[in-house]
Amino acid sequence: MHYLLHFLLPFMAVFLQSTVFGFYAIKGTLPDLVLVFVVFFSVIHGAAPGTAYGFLCGLLEDLYLGRFIGLNAISKALTGFLVGKLQGGFFRENFIIGALAVAFGTLLNASIFLLVSRLAFASFHFDQQFFIGIIYQFIYNVILAAPLYGWYYRSSRIGLLRLSREK
Amino acid sequence: MRGLFKNKVFWFCIVVLIITFFLIRNTSSEREDITLVERMLRDTYAPLQSSVTELRDYFSGPRSIFSQKADLNQTIAQLEKEVARLNLENQVLREQEAEVKRLRALVNFMNNNLDKYQMSAARVIARSPNNWLKTVIIDKGAVEGIEKNMPVITPKGLVGRIGSVSEHTSQVNLITDREIAVGATLQRSRSTSGVVEGMVEGNLLKMINIPYYASVKPDDVVITSGLSQVFPPGIDIGVVYEVSEEPNGLLLSATVIPTVNFDKLEEVLVITDYIPVTEETTVPEEPMAEEE
Repeated sequence: MHYLLHFLLPFMAVFLQSTVFGFYAIKGTLPDLVLVFVVFFSVIHGAAPGTAYGFLCGLLEDLYLGRFIGLNAISKALTGFLVGKLQGGFFRENFIIGALAVAFGTLLNASIFLLVSRLAFASFHFDQQFFIGIIYQFIYNVILAAPLYGWYYRSSRIGLLRLSREK
Repeated sequence: MRGLFKNKVFWFCIVVLIITFFLIRNTSSEREDITLVERMLRDTYAPLQSSVTELRDYFSGPRSIFSQKADLNQTIAQLEKEVARLNLENQVLREQEAEVKRLRALVNFMNNNLDKYQMSAARVIARSPNNWLKTVIIDKGAVEGIEKNMPVITPKGLVGRIGSVSEHTSQVNLITDREIAVGATLQRSRSTSGVVEGMVEGNLLKMINIPYYASVKPDDVVITSGLSQVFPPGIDIGVVYEVSEEPNGLLLSATVIPTVNFDKLEEVLVITDYIPVTEETTVPEEPMAEEE
């Protein structure tokens, strides 16, 4: 059941980003809810599970978009790994940690996305506006992360998102 | 370090990484068709996205509901229940009136252009879930005769082209996407040609490769030139906002404001029978009778 719910979160995130959030884009920039959930997962469950979860969530997004398949998978997997490693499991219950991790994860994910696309020789164009978009997304993600983290943490500890081995 | 190379997880990650890089490389350019998994995923999302679009249409958009909430609260406090009910009714009617106007414009445009192209009207049901790609999903797919690379327009101008098709939906790559390039010319001079590509901010476009001696100025109308072999010639793209000189001094570039408002794109027309004029599509000369 919890595995299904962990899959449903990024599924719903892609759905919301492609519909509802389209109406609330800040200067054409959308939040990355999938990334927010990947970062939350890494903070709570650690680097290795975060990597796998990040890869699967990114792949779901890539398959939906149908272009540069694997780019989001790698960037979100590495983001999940690094956030899990650097966070180290301290003060997970504090929502500020969740928001800070998302802030850090957004910048990390964008940097990895840029690096991987260059390494993969993907014909992706980057310009000044691309970086301005990242700043808007940074703000948007942090605004969403602050209230969402409390719910996610509680649900991961005592609610529906708790993994069975942690019971 | 030696222990790392003996670690199975390490090698598993390396293999996954290599496969993923290979995948990125192979999907970075346009593909002939999307995979079964992509088709299934998109068709799974389609009914959900259609429902949200219908709900938005019914309530004239969540944005307006939230933005008007404060005003409505004041109104409810000041006016009687009957007046509030009538206001809501008016709001729905206005939305329906706007929809009728849009659809009437579409029908008129289709009727006026049917002699030129066969067109299929479609509704936008979803937008790109991330910021890197500028795409929309429409509610018509392979079953309705939509094919990859078909041009997509509205009565106001060029929207993009079909990027991929599933059974009942299609992904439209918008002209504001930085990966899309459109052969363009100026309506006024016709002789000035260039390439229009997307920018990120505010859905603006950039016309590049304009010769330095070209006469291009603000408010010039940019139209498709027909040279890109995907888009028919003569379709409005946008209006020149400002002109700047490229660093090499030999070329100019122009910021173009698209005629289509991509943030409010709700219905589009797909041109289903456009055949670009190429050497392959020109009528071949009659073969000479074989000598016996």
